[in-house]
Amino acid sequence: MTRSDWEKSYARAESALRDAGVENADLLKLEEVRVRFMGRKGELTELLKSLKDLSIEDKRELGPKAQSLKAALDALIDARKAALEDLGDEAALAADAIDLTLPSIRPPKGRLHPLTTTLHEIARIFQLMGYSWAEGPHVEDERHNFTALNIPENHPARDSQDTFYLQDLPLLLRTHTSPVQVRTMESQRPPLRVVCPGRVFRHEQLDATHSAVFGQVEGLVVDEGIGLADLKGHLQTFLQKLLGSSTKTRFRPSYFPFTEPSTEVDVKCFFCPGTGCPACKHTGWIEILGAGVVNPAVLKAVGYDSDKWSGFAFGIGVERVAMLLHGVRDLRHFYTNDLRFLKQFDESLL
Amino acid sequence: MKVSYNWLKEHLPLELSATELSAHLLKIGFEVAGHERLGPTFTGVVVGKIVSKEKHPNADKLSVCVVDDGATKRTVVCGAPNVDAGQTVAYARPGAVLPGNFKIEGRKLRGVESQGMICSRAELGLPKDVDGIWVMGEGPALGADVGSLLGPADDILEVEVTTNRPDCLSHRGLARELAAYFRKELKPLGGGMMESAKASFPVTVEDREACPFYGGRLIEDVTVGESPAWLKAKIVSIGLRPINSVVEITNYVLHDIGQPLHAFDADKLNGSRIIVRRSKTGEKLLALDHRVYDLPAGLLVIADAEKPVALAGVMGGEDSAVTTATKRIILEGAFFNPAEARKSSQKTRLRSDSSYRFERGTDPEAPRAAADRAAGLILQIAGGSAAKPSEATAPRPARRAIQASVGKINAVLGADFADLGVKQALGAIGDVNDDGNGVEFTYTAPSWRHDLRTVNDLSEEVGRFLGYENIPYRMAPMAPRAARLTPVETESRRARMQLAALGLWEAYNYDLVSEKTFLACRLSAEGQPRVAQPLSEDWALMRSSLLPGLLKNAQYNLSRGADSVRFFEVGKSYAIRGKEVDETWRVAGILLGPVLDARWQGARTPRASFYDGKAIVEDLLEKAGPIAWAKLSEPGAGKTPSDPLFHPSNSLRATINGTPVATVGWLHPRVARAHDLEREGAIVFDANLDWLAGRESAPPRFGDFSALPSSRRDLALLLDKATPFARLEGVIRDCLVPELQSVLLFDVYEGKNIPEDKKSLAIRLTFGRFDRTLTDAEVGAAVEKIVAALAKELGASLRG
Repeated sequence: MTRSDWEKSYARAESALRDAGVENADLLKLEEVRVRFMGRKGELTELLKSLKDLSIEDKRELGPKAQSLKAALDALIDARKAALEDLGDEAALAADAIDLTLPSIRPPKGRLHPLTTTLHEIARIFQLMGYSWAEGPHVEDERHNFTALNIPENHPARDSQDTFYLQDLPLLLRTHTSPVQVRTMESQRPPLRVVCPGRVFRHEQLDATHSAVFGQVEGLVVDEGIGLADLKGHLQTFLQKLLGSSTKTRFRPSYFPFTEPSTEVDVKCFFCPGTGCPACKHTGWIEILGAGVVNPAVLKAVGYDSDKWSGFAFGIGVERVAMLLHGVRDLRHFYTNDLRFLKQFDESLL
Repeated sequence: MKVSYNWLKEHLPLELSATELSAHLLKIGFEVAGHERLGPTFTGVVVGKIVSKEKHPNADKLSVCVVDDGATKRTVVCGAPNVDAGQTVAYARPGAVLPGNFKIEGRKLRGVESQGMICSRAELGLPKDVDGIWVMGEGPALGADVGSLLGPADDILEVEVTTNRPDCLSHRGLARELAAYFRKELKPLGGGMMESAKASFPVTVEDREACPFYGGRLIEDVTVGESPAWLKAKIVSIGLRPINSVVEITNYVLHDIGQPLHAFDADKLNGSRIIVRRSKTGEKLLALDHRVYDLPAGLLVIADAEKPVALAGVMGGEDSAVTTATKRIILEGAFFNPAEARKSSQKTRLRSDSSYRFERGTDPEAPRAAADRAAGLILQIAGGSAAKPSEATAPRPARRAIQASVGKINAVLGADFADLGVKQALGAIGDVNDDGNGVEFTYTAPSWRHDLRTVNDLSEEVGRFLGYENIPYRMAPMAPRAARLTPVETESRRARMQLAALGLWEAYNYDLVSEKTFLACRLSAEGQPRVAQPLSEDWALMRSSLLPGLLKNAQYNLSRGADSVRFFEVGKSYAIRGKEVDETWRVAGILLGPVLDARWQGARTPRASFYDGKAIVEDLLEKAGPIAWAKLSEPGAGKTPSDPLFHPSNSLRATINGTPVATVGWLHPRVARAHDLEREGAIVFDANLDWLAGRESAPPRFGDFSALPSSRRDLALLLDKATPFARLEGVIRDCLVPELQSVLLFDVYEGKNIPEDKKSLAIRLTFGRFDRTLTDAEVGAAVEKIVAALAKELGASLRG
């Protein structure tokens, strides 16, 4: 190819390019243009290829010319593409309109039972205070449930704990978690700090505040020099962590065969300003747990030296705490498993 | 125990209000569970007579009455259904003030002027008897003040006395406690009586240990009748029913000083003698409650020459009861061993105010004085003359002395009470004698305090009287020990969190279930622990599986509009093993209905299937080891108590290292039917949590993955319908292609374009190496090897 041929071709290409209408082309047309000029046999491609037939001087002169034409075309196509994309986006944005108000689609959601979260919260606080978790069987013998706890046969204290006995076996369903105290002391040497959570069974008709099956958390501390003051300190700390740091407690004397001295612990009613309401039976105080200094007879029954070791023990009803925390009035709700009930404890997957 | 505050004040002068007293009682360990005010809390209410009654012209439910109060006749509008002419009623005149400061004035009711109000008992603050107005009956004079007819005001307190304090189960007993607490003197107990030299019936006590003291006094020529008003009022105030004077007197003494007494009609006692003995087989007693009791042999009874006439310390017999016809009585005052009284009461399921006190422990030194007091009252009220009592007495054990010190007591309490305070508190309830060493002292309890045996008991007394609120709050210093959970608790927390995260709600069911529940779930109740005296049939057996409860929960919620249920429970199952009961922690669950909460997506929302349940079990067992699956109906699956509840062929057992650990599957169709659940929809699972908890668990180890790209090949295979996917996986695995990284099943198809006995499985094979990229030829060779093996072993062919 001669220089003049090349220049003619160049001029043709240049003018064809000008008329190609890249400014208004759609994507298809753009591709057509690209192939026509820059494809393997495209006009510009051919021009660049045919530079090799020219002299070095011509190459030096015409090469950049061709290159810049190609660059100009590239830029033109890119600009048009970008413009087209913008136009497309605008059209898509204008057309996309799903109904955003349709209900959300939820993956299945589950939650822990409110009695589980209540129990975990109780146990968590005691764990922070150094109490380990201990467990015992639900089916017990007389010794662990009664005798070793200083509740001998023919003692009226057995009345308060109407017992389910098993048929044909010398066994019973534990009436409290206190036998775990005995089992823990039988298997471990002092000092001890344990909570024993679990189910207990009472031969009682069901109503809004009574159940034949319910949860209890027993606590036991055995160490040197433990007295009622330690019980007061621990339980007040616990109750203030559970119910709020301004919780007021009241310790009043009571009786349990396995503790001496014994106490019932009340907290100032948090539903009324102490003026009385149904929740506190109009007394201004809510009974929350029973406790006491471990009766030395109980320590002796497990072979502990009651001159050296002393301790305190307590028992809390899990349902009772859950009812207070969540404002549940009827404890049968906890065992009905009505989803309309359970779904109200949504925070329970902590 | 009902306590009349007026009565209490007869023993101890107290200036407090009953409400203030209640607060003090609480501080020393006696909770006051109820407080009722007796007597008038109103003024201006008089006895009136309804002269006439007409219907109200403008109201169907109202009557217009004319009431005569002795002075004037006035018109009163009344809404009570039971109002009628001729009735004597409590009439609140205009100007009267009813409880709650409710002032009565004349006013128009639907156009009729009403001059005052005809009252119901409730409107007067009295215990309600019938609906409507209080019809008083004949007797009271017209115009008499109703308030003064009711007697003086009193406060009746319901005092809870713990079982260790039977000495406080009477007015004087409680007064004695309060006297010690307030450091006041009890008023002396009046009394005294005259007796003749005549002898009473001879008394024989066959078991002196069971009955250390028995006294019987003959009183002749009595006239038994209605009690005097003061006595009746006392008896009624504490909620008892008046019967006759002698019965009232024994009841009065019991509630006054705490000693149960019994009076026999002496003429009904055969052989004129009293024998305290053990019951013999076949003996019966018609008790005062009009019921016949078959007495088991060996209970302590009071007998005449022929038969038991009372169950000692529990209840007397009807045949020898004192009635208005009685002329001669034997008055019993005794001390029975608490365990004996309790045994008798328990064996006969018979309880009384007497047994309640005897089984808790009465004062062994009280019977004689108490009986004398009752005899004095009988002579005074019923007349007659008293013979000398016959008594049988066992030597009395010495009183228990407790060695204590203020230091030991303060140690038990964690308090710092002063010597003087401690000794004064104890001195108020017993004798305190210094031992002479300047530190220790000896405390001797009075005869009525059976509960004081140890230093701890004394500490409680000191704490009560000096105030629990004066004991400091202390945090016990402890050797630091890490608090830890048990393995099973750790595992159940993991399972709970995992299942809740998988969208299951935690349920709580009872451990006791009915036999019917077992049947409905095809479970065997044989060999299950049974409760001896269940509350009802619903609580007869201990559960062998958690699933029956969960099925009920599903049924309950579905019938109340839930369209999907996903429940799990962590709890125990029970089984008898020899003479013991095995308890196993389990975790079980049920899935039914749409997996997503997206009802409006309709059919596009998948419903829970077997494979969802399988995933849950895989997750639960994730860290336990390689799972070997077996169909429940296969012999290798092993047996568990829940099996009959499952569909035998559409359920799988997961076995790990030879131990059956979990089961997942469909319900047995009959179980599904019994619970109104879809036959194919309900997926249940059950796993042994104890087993899971028994394993050591290590933190997950990181496994490296190749940085180089892998090669994937998709195959559509045509197989016999009956060929399980697991077989296909097995054949591929057996090809031992080291570069094969995974086999993914991505389609299962049966139907159109496929022969009827065939199915198409589409799998994606992924190949790769750590050191270099595989060539197409290498991958091709591997695929060829696999396809050939599948063709040979399973007759599989490549599709299209």
